[in-house]
Amino acid sequence: MAFRLSRRKFLQTASLAAASVPLSKVRTSKAALSAEGVAPGSFTDTKDAYGGICEMCFWRCQLVGKVRDGKLVKIEGNPKSIDNGTSLCARGNAGIKLLYDPDRLKYPLKNVGERGNPKWKRISWKEALDECGSKLKAVIDKHGGHAISMYPHGASAKYPMHYFERVVGTPNVSEASFFQCRGIRDTAYVNTFGTTPGEHVDMANAKAIFLLGCHFGENVHVSHAKRYLKGLENGAKLIVVDPRFSSSAAKADIWVKIKPSTDTAFLLAIMNYLVKKGKHNEEFVDEYGDGFDEFKEAISHATLEWASKECDVPASQIKEVAETLATNAPNVSVHPGRYTSWYGNDFQRVRALGCLTGLLGAVGVKGGFVKPKGPKGVKKVSWPHVGHAESHSLRKLGGGLYPYSPPGTPTDLVRDTMVSGKPYPIKACVVWGQNPIQTIPNQPLTIQGLKNMDFVLAVDVMPTDITMYADILLPESSYLERHDYIKKGTQFDLSGKQEQFISARQPLVDPLFERKDSIYITNEIAKRLGHAMHIPANTVQELVDKQLAGAGLSLAKLTAAKGIHVQPGKDPYGVPEDFEVSFFNEELVENGFPGAPTYKSVEHNPKGYARLLYGRTPLHSFNRTQNNAWLNFGMPENPIWVNDEHASKMGLNDGDRVKLVSSDGVVSTNDSVVKVTPGISKYAVYIAHGFGSKNEMLSVAKGKGIDDQELITKPNIDPETGAHGMRTAFVKIMKDGKKIDFPA
Amino acid sequence: MQYGMVIDLEKCIGCHACTIACKAEWEVPTESGRNWVRRLGPAATPHGLASTYYPGLCNHCNEPACVEICPADVEEMTFTDAKTGKKKTMEVAATWKDPFNGSVQIDKARCIGCGACADACPYEARYVNEDLEEPKADKCTFCMPRVEKGLTPACVQTCLAGARIFGDLDDPKSEIAQYIKNGAYGLSSAAVQIGPNVRYYGNKRDTYLLTSTSTPTEMPEANLRRVFMAKMSKSANDAIKNIGMIGLAGALLCKKTEEGEESNKA
Repeated sequence: MAFRLSRRKFLQTASLAAASVPLSKVRTSKAALSAEGVAPGSFTDTKDAYGGICEMCFWRCQLVGKVRDGKLVKIEGNPKSIDNGTSLCARGNAGIKLLYDPDRLKYPLKNVGERGNPKWKRISWKEALDECGSKLKAVIDKHGGHAISMYPHGASAKYPMHYFERVVGTPNVSEASFFQCRGIRDTAYVNTFGTTPGEHVDMANAKAIFLLGCHFGENVHVSHAKRYLKGLENGAKLIVVDPRFSSSAAKADIWVKIKPSTDTAFLLAIMNYLVKKGKHNEEFVDEYGDGFDEFKEAISHATLEWASKECDVPASQIKEVAETLATNAPNVSVHPGRYTSWYGNDFQRVRALGCLTGLLGAVGVKGGFVKPKGPKGVKKVSWPHVGHAESHSLRKLGGGLYPYSPPGTPTDLVRDTMVSGKPYPIKACVVWGQNPIQTIPNQPLTIQGLKNMDFVLAVDVMPTDITMYADILLPESSYLERHDYIKKGTQFDLSGKQEQFISARQPLVDPLFERKDSIYITNEIAKRLGHAMHIPANTVQELVDKQLAGAGLSLAKLTAAKGIHVQPGKDPYGVPEDFEVSFFNEELVENGFPGAPTYKSVEHNPKGYARLLYGRTPLHSFNRTQNNAWLNFGMPENPIWVNDEHASKMGLNDGDRVKLVSSDGVVSTNDSVVKVTPGISKYAVYIAHGFGSKNEMLSVAKGKGIDDQELITKPNIDPETGAHGMRTAFVKIMKDGKKIDFPA
Repeated sequence: MQYGMVIDLEKCIGCHACTIACKAEWEVPTESGRNWVRRLGPAATPHGLASTYYPGLCNHCNEPACVEICPADVEEMTFTDAKTGKKKTMEVAATWKDPFNGSVQIDKARCIGCGACADACPYEARYVNEDLEEPKADKCTFCMPRVEKGLTPACVQTCLAGARIFGDLDDPKSEIAQYIKNGAYGLSSAAVQIGPNVRYYGNKRDTYLLTSTSTPTEMPEANLRRVFMAKMSKSANDAIKNIGMIGLAGALLCKKTEEGEESNKA
């Protein structure tokens, strides 16, 4: 029985105490506590450190640090920013928990155990760099510079990447941001609009916003989200095509619950409908279009009924979407997406997005595809081109594979060569800020490749699953402790007061322990490989100052300007003079691909399986933030979204703990919690990406959540680009050790 | 004057920046939160499929249950109206509702860390900070120390959506008052009517989802055994430091036993 006591009775008791002891006496004994327990607030006794640029993700917002006694106590958006303003996302706000994460790499380490099961020995920088020098030199002397593969990620990896590509001379550089993310988008737009799209749609001033798979809210980049929200606030109609009732679908006027992998069919039907009904922008197409007649012919099969069947979407809804787009044209944001390596039929889908934009005439107008006019002058200063990377290109040696590949070499070509030694040996691997274990599908193959190496170097801020495979592991200073990146741009709302900004990353605090920046590390390796004469800058400050000099700026000037230089900008609207939309692209045909966007059906769910879809969460940047104590507390694992009707047939309840098992028999190492919802297609299950770290050094993140990459064993390679389509795994639920089929 | 906050769910994208900015600003323990964001749905509602968020924080209620329950010794405290300079003196325990700005505050120097206030809050908006040398209750202060300096609350400053609107509910010209006029609502139920001053604004389906999942439906029964034990052990500790106080602990212990027996009979 509960012990109950009224306040009145309690006060009677307390008065008994008051009678026996003077209150002041009690207060005195507590006086020492008064300061204790009262946090002073970030504005008390702190100094502002300007010039910070975030890198909790790649969007890179501008920061101000609140520093007390040399310690960074809070990070805020720089009030001078015309991009993110005073706002940051959850991850940006949590940066101090990365900075002071006790699990961070602190000293150079040497693996005296084995790759994958390391034993770390702390060594000096000199010993570590000497070892990198001698091991890399041995590989280069025996096999050539192209025998080094590199997996870079992030602002700090650019400089070493250029070194290995241009000076050491290896073409075998594979950036996850291209081959497992946005590379397809970029080359598809280059071959449709003649330019990369970025995320340059003027959502803030749109009358309609069309999102294919984009899930803003779960995917948060501050100024981008501000544009999106401003558009919604101004009354833009929102159309969201997604198998899942995503954060964006929840705000949508039309949610199209499409069958996964059929998006191109959907887009073709919309375009065919617009053309057949004469609802496209004829004037724009005449002036800027190329190959429209061939395009029109090529998509003429794509009726609403055909797409309805293919996409499992009512024909009436496809028509409704087409009509909504036409009604609001040309002020329509057809978002090019960012993460686009989905199913292996992706280049065609992204080209279709470009063609749809063209049909609506949604280029250079309010709400349309509009590239901002950023500041000019910042110089590119980096390593000179002295190596002979291109002659060893695996794409060339393969007979011209993947002609629409983004820069670098498709991951599978590099990895296959690491495993097979054909057509030439790759015997060293340099991993700089990337975690290929959780970015590249088919983990056993990656591990096999790593085990074949004579030398593996990893450089990072944090331990990750890939760092377990390093021979030498070097601790890098974080984005809060170093210079390196120059951020340029304009005001976030393209229709606002036209301004441009330039900002260069500056440290908010000094690095602790023995962490070093990537310019130092790269230069020291270059000296040991006999490349001292090519070093473009001796320190990172020198490098950044040389780059800024082109715009008449310097680090000192930026510091005086509270971290951000702002200057008058230019009206970004209007169609660029040489702009052209390649509705039908002859060059694609010459290379053996369809000239007009074409739908290719991919493998659908085997009986009893659901397709594994994955995406973003606002609390994490993929795997990189998993060990951040605040972010991990906010989202420690990734719930498995299961369709409610399926769940009831499968005997699954909200909150059940289950594993996933793939059609290849891979069982997820960890379990996670079931989320039963009507907000997911019956064809799919969904989890957030990036969870399930295995590295023992990650005391917060290890063993939490399901690693989607573990289950993706059969990626579909996108034939034009060589990028990985990864929404290709099919899974069953495993509960209490038993596999449960999905109903037909 | 009554400070309040409106959260516009039409704008909120559930990014959690508010929760993390608050943690940094006030050194909130990792496992606690002065504010929170709970994702709701996707779920069926009578108005269609919905998915929204419950961004919660202390409601700075008109009749705060947490203030009433505080067992700490009362003291006289003088409050000043920031606008007029007017003063008012009241007898308060370690937590009170400010007579001028309507915010609910804690004096941590006087808090005995018993957790009764946290138990009493139907919104679970308070926590006991166990990271301190001696545990203390804590909660959202509406960032009064920031507001006094002319800053906005940390959660408001960082919100990219502009979804958190802070201001004076009693000022009909304020943005927040406009929201109230347009239908912003508090999370109250038949049993929980203590005048929350955090209000939500959203469409029908989101409103349905939020109110049906996140409105407290009963006032918690505070666990006063915990209050009492805390008070006693606190006093006992003090007594050890101040030898003359041993008698007090004994007296309290006897009294407690009696109460316990009474309660068991009931």
